[in-house]
Amino acid sequence: MKLRTTQDNTHELLDTRHLTESAYVLRMSRRGLQFRSGQHILLGEAGSIHNREYSVYSAEQDDYFEVLIKEVDDGLVSKQLKKLKPGSMLQLEGPLGFFTIEPGLIGNAKFLFVATGSGIAPFHSFVRSYPALNYKILHGVRYASEAYEKDTYPSEQYVLCTSQDKKGDFNGRVTSFLESNPVETDTHCYLCGNFEMIHEVFEILERQGVPPQQVHAEVYF
Amino acid sequence: MKKIAFKTLGCRLNQYETDALASRFHKGSYQLVDYNEPADVFIVNTCTVTNQSDQKSRQTIHQAVKANPDGLMLVTGCMATNHKQSLLETPGIDYVVDNDHKTSIFSLIESHFRGEHPDPEGFDEDLFSYDPAFKTFHTRSLIKIQDGCDNFCTFCIIPSVRGRAVSRPVNAILDNIREVVDHGFKEVVLTGVNIGRYDYDDVNFEQLVAKILELPGDFRLRISSIEPDGFTPHFFELFQHEKLAPHLHLCLQSGSEAILLKMRRMYTAREFRQLAEQLWDRYPDFNLTTDIIVGFPGETEKDFQDTVQMTKDLRFSHIHTFKYSVRNGTRAERMDGHLTERIKNQRSAVIRKISEENKHLYFNQMMGKPQRMLIERISADGIARGYGENYIPLRIKAKDLKRNTFVNVKPERIHDAKEMELWAKLL
Ligand SMILES: Cc1cc2nc3c(=O)[nH]c(=O)nc-3n(C[C@H](O)[C@H](O)[C@H](O)COP(=O)(O)OP(=O)(O)OC[C@H]3O[C@@H](n4cnc5c(N)ncnc54)[C@H](O)[C@@H]3O)c2cc1C
Ligand code: SF4
Repeated sequence: MKLRTTQDNTHELLDTRHLTESAYVLRMSRRGLQFRSGQHILLGEAGSIHNREYSVYSAEQDDYFEVLIKEVDDGLVSKQLKKLKPGSMLQLEGPLGFFTIEPGLIGNAKFLFVATGSGIAPFHSFVRSYPALNYKILHGVRYASEAYEKDTYPSEQYVLCTSQDKKGDFNGRVTSFLESNPVETDTHCYLCGNFEMIHEVFEILERQGVPPQQVHAEVYF
Repeated sequence: MKKIAFKTLGCRLNQYETDALASRFHKGSYQLVDYNEPADVFIVNTCTVTNQSDQKSRQTIHQAVKANPDGLMLVTGCMATNHKQSLLETPGIDYVVDNDHKTSIFSLIESHFRGEHPDPEGFDEDLFSYDPAFKTFHTRSLIKIQDGCDNFCTFCIIPSVRGRAVSRPVNAILDNIREVVDHGFKEVVLTGVNIGRYDYDDVNFEQLVAKILELPGDFRLRISSIEPDGFTPHFFELFQHEKLAPHLHLCLQSGSEAILLKMRRMYTAREFRQLAEQLWDRYPDFNLTTDIIVGFPGETEKDFQDTVQMTKDLRFSHIHTFKYSVRNGTRAERMDGHLTERIKNQRSAVIRKISEENKHLYFNQMMGKPQRMLIERISADGIARGYGENYIPLRIKAKDLKRNTFVNVKPERIHDAKEMELWAKLL
């Protein structure tokens, strides 16, 4: 398959930061490429015909690009990228996507970010790019060890929901948390991660009266 | 004089590009001939949107090569972009030109006949510098306003073969429309891959439409096929303008919230419903048509029933039904739950039947309501055919009718042939 690529879309891998056994952050050279927080890139090893979408994890003002990747059992690209050493070349297309925040709302509206697993990536970028953002994050994971770089977020703005251990702020799924903690209807809601969570949260928010225009979703798988 | 024949598969954008190329060759003293006639040059403008499109494109190429072994064969379009290598290895094909280089086909053929051996990729990449399409194969003038798409719906190969979204400059579009209207075209149809995402120098799609409506001349504007996201209330107001045809082909794809999410569409079924209701609140006879994909991976019976319900509730007067077909390299290819052809066929038959029933309902609703018909063709028996502003196919029989003129008519009864039409009378 032909993917339109510019001649010069290679970026050098600067560093791999391992957050857990399976999750890691790739830092690569930025090379002046502009993006809006919430957008994703198509990323693969230089010269490979395989690439996948990854949300940009770093901030708009950083002089590097980062993505947070969860290695998937039986996955292809998430495994390939994990093996790369600093100095390797990556091929990048984009930025792409519309999972972004209208600039006029920053500092003027309330935001709720709901993530499962690596779905926290675009929210990390939002929070770091826009210090004036009035937000709360619900992060759903199985074990508390998957609370990727949670120190980025003030503890009163970050709720860790753990479904398989009791070490989170809330013991259960993000959906259960939302059922017992209704959302104010003027909140702008961003959902990112697995399809089942997003589908359920859509229904919950609708029942709670949040207008659909205020709900945005990025389905990873 | 050299003879040239074109064959176009797929979407309106391809049709526009063929029209524009044909105009260029006509201006360059080539004789345009029917595709079934012998010719010096054959151009097949291919499509790759489904497996069937690939097969049809290949068949068309083979037939042409067989019928005209001495003619020059050039293959272009989305399938040529997606399967360039295998086409280059196919005997009988002389040139394969991808979408980025399509605008240079005239120069390439000229260079060939000068005895050079041009490399299609040696020409500039350009998506918009087509000649105005005067020499079209129909009465409506298609106007390309953008190319490419960044939505990456999980089933769709188009972003990979058409590339990133690029918008054509506002002034170039307005000039192009002035030209075709001056040339006598009465209907302008906006075309592109994802026209709702038009954005050039802070002029968005709605603003562009507003500017086009301000152009002088007796023409009407049809938006045609558009993705149902990003509309503001201003968009609905635009339809008050008498030049803007009250018809949209709004691509729904599925009525199931779950499937829309898996498809990575940019709207929910709920929002789509609201949109349709807002349109009908203001314009009760507004014509909505749509695309539906049946048998997307993981589509359960319940998901399908949601689509059935929605297609009935929203009474789309025409539903272009596609059976899901795997495209290599898309996310949907890697999803679980691919369905059998049998289920896809069954589901497709159900939607096609609803489409027919809806068409009957809509045509009956429009009975007796005046339409401004643009006459597209007049047959030997004096029957004129064309479309009203609501995009209903009309037929009338009257004296002194002229092709490419507007007439005011009133639909009176259904002409129930293979393709349903409405008989109308002159007002
Ligand atoms: C817009 C967008 C942004 C994305 N951003 C990120 C991101 O920031 N970080 C990230 O880690 N992933 C992200 N993904 C998912 C990513 O693109 C890949 O799908 C993922 O890395 C698996 O690729 P793979 O080649 O290793 O596995 P594949 O060989 O493609 O797939 C193997 C199987 O794993 C499933 N799968 C895919 N992702 C996951 C997952 N995270 N957990 C469990 N199963 C999964 C697939 O459905 C498939 O059945 C994003 C996806 C999209 C559409
Ligand atoms: S909007 Fe979706 S279906 Fe339409 S061209 Fe873009 S990716 Fe394909």
